[in-house]
Amino acid sequence: MPDWTTLSAIFAIGAVSLMLRVGGYLSAGALHPDGRLARLIRLAPGNMLVAFVAAGVLDGGWPYLAGSLTAATVMAVTRKEWAALSSGFAAAAAVSAAL
Amino acid sequence: MTNSDKPAAPFTAAGFRRGIFAAIPMMIGSAVGGFAIGVAYRGIELGLPASMLLSAVVYSATAQAVTLALWSATPPIAAMMLAVLITNARYLAMGAHMRQMFPDMRRRIMAPILAITGDGAWMLTAVEAAEGRRDAGFLLGLNTPIAFGWIGGTALGYLLPVTLKGPLAIAAAFLPLGFIAALLPLQWRGKRSLLPWITAAAAGIAAASLIGHGWAMLVGGAAGTLVAAWRSDDA
Repeated sequence: MPDWTTLSAIFAIGAVSLMLRVGGYLSAGALHPDGRLARLIRLAPGNMLVAFVAAGVLDGGWPYLAGSLTAATVMAVTRKEWAALSSGFAAAAAVSAAL
Repeated sequence: MTNSDKPAAPFTAAGFRRGIFAAIPMMIGSAVGGFAIGVAYRGIELGLPASMLLSAVVYSATAQAVTLALWSATPPIAAMMLAVLITNARYLAMGAHMRQMFPDMRRRIMAPILAITGDGAWMLTAVEAAEGRRDAGFLLGLNTPIAFGWIGGTALGYLLPVTLKGPLAIAAAFLPLGFIAALLPLQWRGKRSLLPWITAAAAGIAAASLIGHGWAMLVGGAAGTLVAAWRSDDA
């Protein structure tokens, strides 16, 4: 069994993670559905994920860029997640091997 | 979709089954990502029970990767909590968006579902809702195999005498990001997405470079969203 220090750390950071996941849902109940903030939240998903991918590519370099572009392109063409993900994986590995 | 045109049944068994099948590709990717984190936990001798517990309780590739570097004999709990807060702050926005999709779900049902909701499941559920198939059962169906993949992958990575090296290690580390990149075309709304997305990417890169990777999604997402709102788009 993990010692108490390790368990404390795990549950402390787990509590933060849970609070963030559930907190947004609970606090958004106070928003007016047609209000400005509610509209911004509706617009947010695609933009947030584009930013996430861009920053990830910045960290991961050429393999991540190749993997991301391949995954997105294959998804746009086939609409099959498994094909997109496996192609992205293969592209990232291939570019990494080539560098 | 607005609250007024949401169908009456927000949670169905059929949606749950549909979610399970839709999650299979993501489950495989999740298992490979979990495997990589399990190998890393073996490297710092965290122990199998603690590794699996960490993957189950924190359940976030980015947060676990960030806190990995902080583990020691006496873990700096406050620093770890702050790192998770910054890394996972995006979940606040995701949760708020979920509330718009499921305003009529009971909180005691949604809370455990949200506890195991990741970026990919959120995005797929949003796409389903936009196409008129709003169903928290679908979200739970997605989450379940992905969670098993992540936690099981962590266990296998810890137990098997494998060390990921070279291109395969890089490709395995890429997979969590690959989920999101693969799902981006589903969010594309044509030309009107272009400017907000360029803005989001540029601001995300700037935030990652200047203040840290954990801020990229929030700062970039906010910038792109503001541009879309300013243009009165729905992109």
